[in-house]
Amino acid sequence: MSLIQIKDLNKHFNVLNRREGLGGAFLDLFSGDYNIVRAVDGVSFDIEAGEMIGYIGPNGAGKSTTIKMMTGILKPSSGAILVNGFPPHANRIRQAQIMGVVFGQRTQLWWDLPVIESFKILKDIYRVDQKTFDDHMGLFNELVGLKQLYKQQVRTLSLGQRMLCDITASFLHNPQVVFLDEPTIGLDISVKAKMRTVIKELNQTRNTTIILTTHDLGDVEALCRRIIIIDKGKVLFDGDVKKVNALFGAYRTLKVQVNDFDESTLKALAGQMIQHFGTNNGISISEVEKHWTDITIDQARTPLADVLSFVMTNFPVHDVRIVEISMENVVQKVYDGALS
Amino acid sequence: MKKYFAIIRGAFMVGMVYRLGFIFTILGNLVYLGVAYYLWTSIYETTNVMRGLTFNEAFLYIALGSAVFILLKTYSDWWISREIIDGNIIIDLIKPIDYQLMTLFTNLGFVLTNLIAITIPTALMLVLVFNVTIPYGAGTLLFPFSLIMAFVISYCFDYFTGLLAFYTESTWGLSITKDTIILVFSGALVPLQFFPEGMQKVLMVLPFQTMYHTPLMLFTRPDQPWEALAGMLLVQCGWALGLILLTRLFYLQAIKVLRISGG
Ligand SMILES: Nc1ncnc2c1ncn2[C@@H]1O[C@H](COP(=O)(O)OP(=O)(O)O)[C@@H](O)[C@H]1O
Ligand SMILES: [Mg+2]
Repeated sequence: MSLIQIKDLNKHFNVLNRREGLGGAFLDLFSGDYNIVRAVDGVSFDIEAGEMIGYIGPNGAGKSTTIKMMTGILKPSSGAILVNGFPPHANRIRQAQIMGVVFGQRTQLWWDLPVIESFKILKDIYRVDQKTFDDHMGLFNELVGLKQLYKQQVRTLSLGQRMLCDITASFLHNPQVVFLDEPTIGLDISVKAKMRTVIKELNQTRNTTIILTTHDLGDVEALCRRIIIIDKGKVLFDGDVKKVNALFGAYRTLKVQVNDFDESTLKALAGQMIQHFGTNNGISISEVEKHWTDITIDQARTPLADVLSFVMTNFPVHDVRIVEISMENVVQKVYDGALS
Repeated sequence: MKKYFAIIRGAFMVGMVYRLGFIFTILGNLVYLGVAYYLWTSIYETTNVMRGLTFNEAFLYIALGSAVFILLKTYSDWWISREIIDGNIIIDLIKPIDYQLMTLFTNLGFVLTNLIAITIPTALMLVLVFNVTIPYGAGTLLFPFSLIMAFVISYCFDYFTGLLAFYTESTWGLSITKDTIILVFSGALVPLQFFPEGMQKVLMVLPFQTMYHTPLMLFTRPDQPWEALAGMLLVQCGWALGLILLTRLFYLQAIKVLRISGG
């Protein structure tokens, strides 16, 4: 039996259409004008014990909502969900004992207390014995040097330090499954690397099932074998991360800032690209914000360096940046049939 | 039960972090007691006994009332409603603990901080500065137990007010209203004996008086007959139990708002 079984899962929210201004706020009191938001819309998947899943999608895709249902916080509108054989919301307290959760934007540590005190309280809440506790803290100390933070008040930790502590806390009671909802958001590269080491280590040594939500493809690439892509509440892709990598690993986005930019520059750019690199060049161009143009390049077809030198020589370029493909782009490409 | 002890301990430590604020509470209380002292002295200018209370009894009642008020003031209605509104309640809901017991014991931790940092110093000042005589009797022994019941009842009102945040985004007015009702109807501000007789009858069947009037009367009039003392305690325990159950049912209803519409 799979550890997590989800079948035709739906979560719909009724959202009041709010009117503007003071009078509007008053009218809203009597309003029956609701919109239905299909946050999770017919999702199905099974997850085996010990898997490490990348659950990804752009903002508002429905990732957190799915996690809140798997942890028993939200009740599904319809559909079935079983974790370790039980519906999570039916017996929240028993289920909580086998789960660990990190919500990236919130902390489960005691804000006003030194770090170590939170761990001690959690130790008693989850009834962890002293030896397991010592081993666990020892491991984290080895991996990320946690000990030097013990005496520090949680409110004074940096975002990265706090997140490491939160992750330590979520694994403390040796749960069967850990949900990590955006644990790397806002972190710099070095902290991200530490985080990945820890997560990988725990998955391998303890066989903990891990479900990782992120909109950083790098996290998924580094950690997961299986990836589930979700957008607008629907699963777009569920399969081997290699398949996605093969496709998107080749893509890069070149961001260029051009002096005296206007509509005609964009048109000229697009036109000259086609002239120079041909029609099937794997390049797409869009203006994202004022003066900044995104040129997404499939390196399998046209080398990035060629595009870069072409743009640099033909346009009055002010600034250039190269970024990995964004989640929004991935989703767009999946819609366009890239993975089918 | 170890997990709930850990929660008390944690809350106690959090309370201690804010110990600087206690000094102001103690000073404020001293000023209040000074004003109350002169007020009640002038009320008792022409008579020794009023409504069956001597000056010493009345002032002890008032002073102790303010000490108990500060003891029970943990602002739990505020932080419960805040964590509901900003969504941090989900952090509590992913833990294997009962929400009502968790908030109850967190509150107990704060009460213990208040006890050590505010109530005991205030009580000492009462004896030293205002020179009140403290009576002893069977009621004195029952007082601590009665105080614990008063704590449970007070917590239930806070918990209920906090949970209303599931239904409305501004609990500010509700909290203030609750505080005012309790302050007046419980006999915390003025002993119930000083209310009109008809009103006294009504107030005695409401739960508010069990929060202040009951423990304070046990303390200021400890030599009442056993039946009277036991009767008061029994009523208090009844309310404590009833309110715990009622708020528990209310929680089960209110949490549906979160479960279904995401808070
Ligand atoms: N409590 C709620 N009430 C109404 N709409 C909500 C609520 N929670 C989430 N949503 C909506 O559901 C969608 C999915 O949200 P979420 O699961 O948080 O996305 P993600 O975590 O993938 O960014 C979004 O459109 C969001 O606005
Ligand atoms: Mg989210």
